[in-house]
Amino acid sequence: MGTDAFEVGVNFAKMVAIFLMMVQIVPLLVWVERRGSAYIQNRFGPNRVGPLGLMQLLADAIKFLTKEEFIPERGYPFLFYLAPVVAMIPAALAFGAIPLSMPVNVEAFSMLGQHWGPYVFKFQSYEIGIGIVFVLGISSLAAFGVLLAGYGSNNKYALYGALRACAQTISYELAMGLAIVGVILLFNTFSFSEIVTAQSAPLNFAFLGHKVEWSVLPNWGIFYQPLGAVILFSAMFAEANRLPFDLPEAEGELVAGYHTEYAGFKFNMFFIGEYGHMLVASALMVIFYFGGYTVYPWLTPETAPKIMAPIAGLMGWSTTSTAVSLLGALLLHVVFLTKIVFFLWIFIWVRWTLPRFRYDQLMDLGWRKMLPWALLNTVVTAVIILVMRHPWGG
Amino acid sequence: MLSADNFLHIGLAHYIFLSGILFSFGMIAVLMRKNVIVMLMGIELMLNAVNLSFIAFSKESGNLNGHIMVFFVMTIAAAEAGVGLALAVAIYKKFHEVNIRFFEHLRG
Amino acid sequence: MWEAIGFYALAIFLIYFAFQTITVPNPIHSALYLVLTMVGLSAAFFNLGAQFIAGVQMIVYAGAVMVLFVMVLMLFDLKAEIRAFSQGLFSGGLKVMSAALLAGLAIGAANSSVAILDKPVEAARAPADVTRQLGLLLYTKYLFAFEALGLLLLVVAVGVVAVSRIRGGTHAQR
Repeated sequence: MGTDAFEVGVNFAKMVAIFLMMVQIVPLLVWVERRGSAYIQNRFGPNRVGPLGLMQLLADAIKFLTKEEFIPERGYPFLFYLAPVVAMIPAALAFGAIPLSMPVNVEAFSMLGQHWGPYVFKFQSYEIGIGIVFVLGISSLAAFGVLLAGYGSNNKYALYGALRACAQTISYELAMGLAIVGVILLFNTFSFSEIVTAQSAPLNFAFLGHKVEWSVLPNWGIFYQPLGAVILFSAMFAEANRLPFDLPEAEGELVAGYHTEYAGFKFNMFFIGEYGHMLVASALMVIFYFGGYTVYPWLTPETAPKIMAPIAGLMGWSTTSTAVSLLGALLLHVVFLTKIVFFLWIFIWVRWTLPRFRYDQLMDLGWRKMLPWALLNTVVTAVIILVMRHPWGG
Repeated sequence: MLSADNFLHIGLAHYIFLSGILFSFGMIAVLMRKNVIVMLMGIELMLNAVNLSFIAFSKESGNLNGHIMVFFVMTIAAAEAGVGLALAVAIYKKFHEVNIRFFEHLRG
Repeated sequence: MWEAIGFYALAIFLIYFAFQTITVPNPIHSALYLVLTMVGLSAAFFNLGAQFIAGVQMIVYAGAVMVLFVMVLMLFDLKAEIRAFSQGLFSGGLKVMSAALLAGLAIGAANSSVAILDKPVEAARAPADVTRQLGLLLYTKYLFAFEALGLLLLVVAVGVVAVSRIRGGTHAQR
């Protein structure tokens, strides 16, 4: 956690703030989803409560909190209560391991008659060296939330929904993992920060042992792994149980799938889990293929403090490197959030555009189309990297 | 021989002790439970206990061969679970029961 | 000091979960306790500096194998078993005693061989470095075993499909 009280305190506050950020983004997304779907379907959507219907979020929250607490009579109460928690925790833990901006350098300063040494604060809840493996492992636990919900409510529709969700999650996890293997091979690391650092440079690669640099384009993963990006993004839809893959909660067949019996705040926690998964999925897409929190020629960890230095001076703050570093990190954080919002909008857009798959089509797509293509992507990437990085030229 | 230092200084022996306890639990599950799937879970528990001791030895001796072995054990355990569950499903289709009491006689 | 407290807390949790796994009568509860055991073991691996193995443990065991177990158990729709354990006080006691004896022998043998082990030759390495070394070792020294494992997985996949296949597809008359 840290070496002294200040560092521990800041790290703790950071964890809480990032968790709250994830939770607070959910009502906003619900609003965007409802207004967006209305826009797509040529309706008005919620526009009565407050400006642009924004107060609808508050009304929804009050509704969720005041609903009747309901437990199925012949279910398993403990598992029934546990399920929403288990559905929410993996998304929150996974989001905590993702770097949201560049590290903030804090210079040595004195406060309360004591000297506090220089610190480097990472812009994420906690850094784990093997971040990618950690996020994959944690988010694979989310299947248990669904399973517990299906089993704990002792309802056949809930059970069917849970079984479907589970089969779907396991099937698409393979394609997802293999698509990520391509990125790991390309950037040669398991750490998110290193991947982002590698992408904040001009497009450069080894061609038969020679180094080629092309400074027009940034060094983003999408230029090397377009197929992997498509596969990963489609698999993410299935992992988050969103339409066109929302078989688990197909309302025409299964009432509401695994959350048939849930109401009130417990249902809300499932909701937070689902949107948290969307958030993690968008963040992974941005980090792996779209440069993370950097946009190469203009906004990189090197240039951001230089851009923000005059602004810090203008606002009358002392232009110490601490303030400049903090402002630069915030600027890059805004860049990251912009990119994430773009992908979240694609999630919503697809949901209200495509119809639902049939179950056999879902399995066919996962096992017979996406898995072979992902395998091909991995093998071709490995062979090309071997050939290109081999120093045959000299 | 037993002193406070033995309890406070965590070393290889502690992990091996833990691993041994978990292994014996897995073995008891295989010997005493009557549900085929719980018996399979006992096997998984035994394999995991062995993995723990491999990693502990690997840390103690400072080389990575133990990690490699754990990697292989995990792969084989996953394959074994797949086969075991497929057999359990086939048995369930035939007898509508997964309790070994019902298919201990070798006739269909 | 803190290391010891962490280890004992983890050990108590692991032993409790493993005990529940083998004693609760409902197989689904048993599987869920086993999931907790797996996650606890992953934490133990993390403690021991095997970060990559800990992640793989989460992905493979907790995320895939145990999900399959729970799913199959749900498909069977088993109620809590009336006779979860095999009968017979004498044979049961014999089984527990034999398991305890085996574990005791293993622990004793390992414990007495701890002293013979060479002390660590290298200093502690960074986790990323461990993962890199693991990959190098896997694709050089253990390449043959790795390939054999791949073949084994292929055979297992084909075998599982053959075992669990229904003749006539999903519309078969039964």
